[in-house]
Amino acid sequence: MNFEQLLQSPAYTVPARERRDLILQELNTLSLHHYEYCEPYRRIIDGLWGGRPGADTLNAFPYLPVALFKSQTLQSASPEQIRLTLTSSGTTGQAVSRVLVDSETSLRQQAALTNSLTHILGKKRLPMLVIDTSEVYRNPSMMSARGAGVLGMMRYGRDHAFALGPDLELDVDAIRSFLDRNGDAPFFMFGFTFLVWAKLFEASAGQTVDLSNGILIHSGGWKKMVEKAVDNEVFKSRLNERFGLSRIYNFYGMVEQLGSILLEGPHGLLYPPNYSDVIIRDPQTLMPVPHGTPGLIQVISLVAKSYPGNSLLTEDLGVIEAVDPGEDGWMGPGLRILGRLPKAELRGCSDVVASHAA
Amino acid sequence: MPHEVALLGPDGILVPVDMRDFGPQCDRLHARAVAPFADGSIRLLGVISRLLLTAPDARGIPQFTALGYWLRPSMLQRMKHAFDDTLRPGQVATPRGTAFHLPPQNVDTLFVYSWALSVLAGNSNIVRLPSQISRTTQILCTTIAAALAETGENERHLFCTYDHGSGLNRTISALSDLRMVWGGDEKVRTVGTDPLQPDGLSLGFPDRQSFSIIAAAIYADLPVAGRDQLANQLYNDIYWFDQMGCGSPRVIFWLGEIGDLADDLFTRLVNVARSKSYKTEASVSVSKYVRMNDMVASGVAQTGTRFGPELDVVNTSLSPALAAHHHGGGFLISTPLGSLEDILPTINRQVQTITHFGLQPPQLEQFAKSLIGKGGYRIVPIGEALSFEPIWDGVDLLAHMTRRIVWR
Repeated sequence: MNFEQLLQSPAYTVPARERRDLILQELNTLSLHHYEYCEPYRRIIDGLWGGRPGADTLNAFPYLPVALFKSQTLQSASPEQIRLTLTSSGTTGQAVSRVLVDSETSLRQQAALTNSLTHILGKKRLPMLVIDTSEVYRNPSMMSARGAGVLGMMRYGRDHAFALGPDLELDVDAIRSFLDRNGDAPFFMFGFTFLVWAKLFEASAGQTVDLSNGILIHSGGWKKMVEKAVDNEVFKSRLNERFGLSRIYNFYGMVEQLGSILLEGPHGLLYPPNYSDVIIRDPQTLMPVPHGTPGLIQVISLVAKSYPGNSLLTEDLGVIEAVDPGEDGWMGPGLRILGRLPKAELRGCSDVVASHAA
Repeated sequence: MPHEVALLGPDGILVPVDMRDFGPQCDRLHARAVAPFADGSIRLLGVISRLLLTAPDARGIPQFTALGYWLRPSMLQRMKHAFDDTLRPGQVATPRGTAFHLPPQNVDTLFVYSWALSVLAGNSNIVRLPSQISRTTQILCTTIAAALAETGENERHLFCTYDHGSGLNRTISALSDLRMVWGGDEKVRTVGTDPLQPDGLSLGFPDRQSFSIIAAAIYADLPVAGRDQLANQLYNDIYWFDQMGCGSPRVIFWLGEIGDLADDLFTRLVNVARSKSYKTEASVSVSKYVRMNDMVASGVAQTGTRFGPELDVVNTSLSPALAAHHHGGGFLISTPLGSLEDILPTINRQVQTITHFGLQPPQLEQFAKSLIGKGGYRIVPIGEALSFEPIWDGVDLLAHMTRRIVWR
């Protein structure tokens, strides 16, 4: 079954075993496509995977380390076809990922995201409260992953309002004015996890804001949240207590697989959409591990076509805690994210202490 | 922010001291230098050797065993004779005075080699220990403290640690006659701007790269035991300091037809690593895998094999600056070589150690001569990459750590 057909099924409903067979065929087709058009990909397949683009099983399917997007230009379309370059929001001084998207892949990304979001929001566009500042997408120099993320999500809402001011300060008036107009019926909220917590929840202490008709979708790293000792459970229960907000969905995605989001389903676990899958690998041997065993997350998705981003080995750790729970129709592997792989340093004669030398 | 300085105490623990007391501690070293190869110096290092080879927590750590052997009394006597042989009639050796040692952060034993040679030269010594004291460095500190106490030689040695921002590098440099700076280019460059005594000498040991040459035909003729032995020696060279020692090989050049010999050796190598329970951190395993993909994707390497988390190997054809592609933690570049001359374009000032297997002395001598003016300062058998020797980076250390009085 191909990508378009898989999108026809209700999102997040194809059972784990079944989807593996369904996506493998198109995955092999895509791999052949990248092999033909993307030279670095071809070199990797030839040099590290025995020269065969594709595999008989999903576990054996070639994967690229996601860090490769930082050092290589990976594109499977001609330069004229590339419509936009997405970049990751790397820390200052670090290399950023560069992802090259043509019109076709852009459409596939939108179709994929629509499939995921309508699952939660319904087919009709809802009024939208963005938990961010409008600057984040208005200012082109800020067109980072965050800006692109906000802009991408805004397509799924209408009558947009922004809960934060230019300096990310809470704009209570903007929120109240939005709620006066839209607060009595379901509305859509989107923001990055840390901003929702620090700039909406923490900054609104002592204020009464009724968000009980809201549907919050949020994403972003949990690193800063861990520093505040806030996990998904705490996040949800505190937001519910404060705002009456009960429909909260986290998702896991990355700029290298834009459009494909692993969405929070039963028991706070994250589920890949129908055209997508997750494999957990041992960080040492890189072999797949059984469900329940933590390891590196490999994400597989049919979305990307203008760049070889269909099978990526991330540097995030996770564990599959449930498979095909069936609650409310949710099927597939249920992933819990355990954070980044901790960095160990190799030092030697050539230690670099000059950078802190006075 | 108050800056901290800590001194190595008699029980081997670093004890914080008041910054105001530190100056006098340094001053007391002044004019305490003794004759090269003084009995007390040889006794002190001999005790350290004995402790490293016998003390329960030091015994059996291979780097310590190597250091212990290096400092054993018979070896010290041999060094003394070799040193005496350099003195012509009418020459008397004298120490430079106070030596300041800035060892690297993580090749634990190196500070002892740098210090020990300076001890033999007769200098007073100030050694700046790494800011993070590893378990192995702590054992060395305890051993040294015990030996200093046992021999009563502690008057001319100061082991300390302090903040980078404290300005003490500059203060100590100002009263030093000799400075040994081990580390990256930047560190050597930065420290080098701090003036020494007007007639002082600063020796920098910056970033270096090393590689190996194996004569394929000779390896092919080795029996299994010989192959395993070579793998064992290669293991020491590569893994002792997580392949981050300056002498650790990054590239294996195969002189002659490789066939399946490389696979054979690397399989043996990974088996040695496993038998020694070498542990690869998960993030190191992953970043080596990223590097392998990166080198293949960019066409620098053509193929690659992960022999295990302990060892990734990429295969390349010969090109300049191969050794610049360094990762560490068990990452090798395997490259065929038609003749020894073919390697010359890849050699520059950064090259330090070239370990070899299967080359004959006449070849080696000719090869050494072909390196004149290029780089590459040690051509030694596989297994000796990290063996410290008194001529390091091409510099005769004892000669530089002393002066000569001439009389007639």
